[in-house]
Amino acid sequence: MHPFSYTRAADTREALDAGRRGGRYLAGGTTLVDLMRETVERPETLVDITGLPLSEITVTERGGLRIGALVTLSEAAAHAKVRTLYPVVSEALELSASAQLRNMATIGGNIMQRTRCTYFRDVTADCNKREPGSGCAALHGVNRTHAILGTSDACVATHPSDAAVAFAALEARVHLLGPDGARQVPFADFLLPPGRTPQREQALRKGELITAVEIPALPRPFRSGYLKVRDRQSYEFALTSAAVALHVSGGVIREAKVAAGGVGTVPWKLPGVERHLLGERPSGALWSAAAAKAADGARPLQHNRFKVELLKRTVERQLRVVGGTT
Amino acid sequence: MSPQPQAAVGAPLSRVDGRLKVTGQALYAAEHVVDGAVHAVIVDSGIGRGRITSIDTVAAEALPGVLKVLHHRNAPKLPYRDNSGSNNPPGRRLRVFQDDRVRFHGQPVAVVVATTLEAAQHGASLVKVGYDAEQPSTDLAEAEPDEPTTYARGDAEAALRSAAVRLDLTYRTARNHHNPMEPHATIARWNGDKLTVWDKTQWVVGTQTELAAVFGLDTAAVRVISPFVGGGFGTALRCWPHVVVAALAARETKRPVKLVLSRKQMYLGTGFRPSYEYHLRLGSDRRGRLTAAVHELDAETSSYETFTESVLAAGQMLYSMPNVTQRYRTVPLDLPTPLYMRGPGFQTASFVIESAMDELAHRLGVDPIELRRRNEPSDDESSGLPFSTRRLRECYAVGAREFGWHRRDPEPRATREGDWLIGRGMAAGVYDTARMPAQARARLDADGTALVDAAATDMGPGTYTSQTQVAADALGLTVRTVTFRLGDSLYPPTPPHGGSMTMASVGSATLDACNKVRRQAIRLAVEDRESPLYGVAAADVVVRGGRLHMKDDPTRGETYRRLLARNDRTHLEADGSFAPPSGPERHSFYGYNATFAEVAVDATLGLVRVRRVLGVYDAGRIISPKLADSQALGGMVGGIGTALLEHTVTDHRDGRIVNANLADYLVPVNADIPDLKAIYLDGEDREADPLGVKGLGELVMIGVAPAIANAVFHATGRRIRELPITAEALL
Repeated sequence: MHPFSYTRAADTREALDAGRRGGRYLAGGTTLVDLMRETVERPETLVDITGLPLSEITVTERGGLRIGALVTLSEAAAHAKVRTLYPVVSEALELSASAQLRNMATIGGNIMQRTRCTYFRDVTADCNKREPGSGCAALHGVNRTHAILGTSDACVATHPSDAAVAFAALEARVHLLGPDGARQVPFADFLLPPGRTPQREQALRKGELITAVEIPALPRPFRSGYLKVRDRQSYEFALTSAAVALHVSGGVIREAKVAAGGVGTVPWKLPGVERHLLGERPSGALWSAAAAKAADGARPLQHNRFKVELLKRTVERQLRVVGGTT
Repeated sequence: MSPQPQAAVGAPLSRVDGRLKVTGQALYAAEHVVDGAVHAVIVDSGIGRGRITSIDTVAAEALPGVLKVLHHRNAPKLPYRDNSGSNNPPGRRLRVFQDDRVRFHGQPVAVVVATTLEAAQHGASLVKVGYDAEQPSTDLAEAEPDEPTTYARGDAEAALRSAAVRLDLTYRTARNHHNPMEPHATIARWNGDKLTVWDKTQWVVGTQTELAAVFGLDTAAVRVISPFVGGGFGTALRCWPHVVVAALAARETKRPVKLVLSRKQMYLGTGFRPSYEYHLRLGSDRRGRLTAAVHELDAETSSYETFTESVLAAGQMLYSMPNVTQRYRTVPLDLPTPLYMRGPGFQTASFVIESAMDELAHRLGVDPIELRRRNEPSDDESSGLPFSTRRLRECYAVGAREFGWHRRDPEPRATREGDWLIGRGMAAGVYDTARMPAQARARLDADGTALVDAAATDMGPGTYTSQTQVAADALGLTVRTVTFRLGDSLYPPTPPHGGSMTMASVGSATLDACNKVRRQAIRLAVEDRESPLYGVAAADVVVRGGRLHMKDDPTRGETYRRLLARNDRTHLEADGSFAPPSGPERHSFYGYNATFAEVAVDATLGLVRVRRVLGVYDAGRIISPKLADSQALGGMVGGIGTALLEHTVTDHRDGRIVNANLADYLVPVNADIPDLKAIYLDGEDREADPLGVKGLGELVMIGVAPAIANAVFHATGRRIRELPITAEALL
């Protein structure tokens, strides 16, 4: 670990001041401190924001949910409104990490979570995300767990968060506060695919702070759920995952929100699958036909070719679980 | 056994050191308080093979608190005397900081010593090492093997050609790392030419002799202390280079030095179970009687040492067949040297042989247990020796009944629950009953308590407890009045704490020492005119609860305390020893098991979930049933890991291990290990050792992986011959 200075922000103004001067925000620390130990992250200044009033979950005027950035994963997962309105979110959270980590990690930190790419986490390996221009060791290296969607020649690392997949599916909005005031960014625009600048991972301006994630209201009845496919049954990142939410009315799918995890450089929204579902009657054949589009555009690598098929099966399974029928 | 009543042995005791452990008072290697200790952090090589061309330590040395940076350019030349006695395999061991060669990715190339751990860690990250890198060779399938070790009886090739049924199968097993909870750690302190180390080790004597050899010291000048070991699985059977680094750093800085490996460094040179490519050809007649087997296997080793393990024995003796050929080749690679890992050799061989037996059973339409029964040998066909005990048939019978084997529909892919395909599989397991010379010392004090010392280790199986049980019964004391001490090279020497030989070897030495002390006391009493036992034949006296009395008349007797006080004895003391009979063995000694597994496999997603595992063990006498269960369940968990999860992955481009941490190297978590059960056949092995034990710790892991693989086949109809079994193999 490299030496760093640590300050604790008493209020939002103090945090933003420190952030504007280059301080890195520290909440649960489950990613940042871990990476500091590996010297992947070498911040000069940490600004502890855990004292800020961002730990509330509130129902919005339109009936959506606003989850404060400092709400822990375990708090969010256990919250009655989250569980009843958005099972896809609580399930994604409960399938994340371990109980100990969920007690520390925060919603804001979770969507800021950095990749598990082992080359990124090993400072002796080439990584464009960690050291722009050094190359991507994963592209032709050991890449079983890497992305098949949204990749570039510069980076093939997955975004590791489960909750972010649910947020992407539900078209959440990220609330930000910066030196120039507050703004909101659609989730789809918040996390950036690597392109030629894999070091840029979020659409954050300097010193900006996530204050909340807002999930829009959804028409009732809305059924949703999250499926995580992984090598072991707990405490493990997804090989593939699927967040599915469906509004079925009059026997017809009126709204469909589907995203996949473990396969994309960012949580991967599946508009092709969603379009295929809209206006149709739930059936096994429909799930199968829609899921067949889940891996459209996939660019598999040497060791993760299986994810193409696994992704389709994962989405099909979860469409069936959420949408019923066989 | 002794004529003493057996009150403690066989009782399901909790660990005598349990309270120390759960209250944090048990001191592990890095936790010993050594005044003035400073911290050392190793710098690992960033290439997989080549030469060091430059080392820039300016930034590190400028850091406040950094005392010294040692590397091959400023380290003194060390004697490195030959030492074949410390689990060093044949070859030339890695000599730290003695030359500019890099032999594997992550090799120690420098060490930073500082007054704080943080300064040492930061300093290590600031050392800049320049290399002349060469292409490393790390792929077992690509590299040139060594000359083979071979075995043959009969003419296997000819027998195969004429066999009615032939199988020709290739298996691959992944490299596995031991991954104990406690990392390797050493504290080294010099006092003149005398060296004391507190170390994580499964063999204080081995570490002592190795350090003496490396530094050119008398063995007696080195003391190794290791009272608690937080898991080992074999990784601490050898004195690795980091122990030398700690001692060297302490000598060069003239300060006690503490060195703790990071989790990542636990993958960089503290041993591993090598990866194998194993080609097996099997021939049988139409009834499934085996006629021939040809085993051809290649295994990883390092470029500088030739590591081999007992991977051939099972193929020579587990089943009856006239013709066997084996060819075992090590393949030198630019990797650190492997080392024994739980169930060494047998674990790999059993996966291959037992998977193949399942294939043969399926091919012939014979029940897998019945096929094994048909091939049960009457003696050890590799040596012609009779088995000391071999109760595999009973293991099958008890296991089948307990597991409900007969309810299994033999047809693969026949049982389904929703999305899950259900499968049941079984395997036989075997592990040799090793024993080696060991010593112990027992002392009975005037207050009626006893102290027993041996340089043994307790890496988790419960040596403290089980040795206390043996000592208590032999001395006629309660467990609470006996203290067993271990983990110090000043105590009487013992063999490595590995190969499941501690109970047989150290336990027998403990038994001997305690029997001697008890007999001394009895002799003292029967020759003492003032003793109520005066004149009684020594053989008619037993001791119970610290009181000597006539076997047939418990009222006639007295306590140890009274006896010793009256005779002005502060204590009675005896050295005990055990050694297996000299000369060739007269029996074939093995422990056996039948292991059963039930799995569920997601029919479309390929996920394998173990539902239950049952092991039935012919392991001789069980000294400590509660600890035996801990051993057995742990072994099953290890087996599940090997079968489904564990896999050290190397990037062959530069020899880097890409998953050198516990987030990416997967071991089972609680959710992966639902229903595990162990059953021990009642009995003992009178030929093996005075205690009648056969060893348990290795045996319990063997058979789990093939039972799971066979269950996966039964569930899915898919035969997976590569470990670990992953989702993509089953899609």
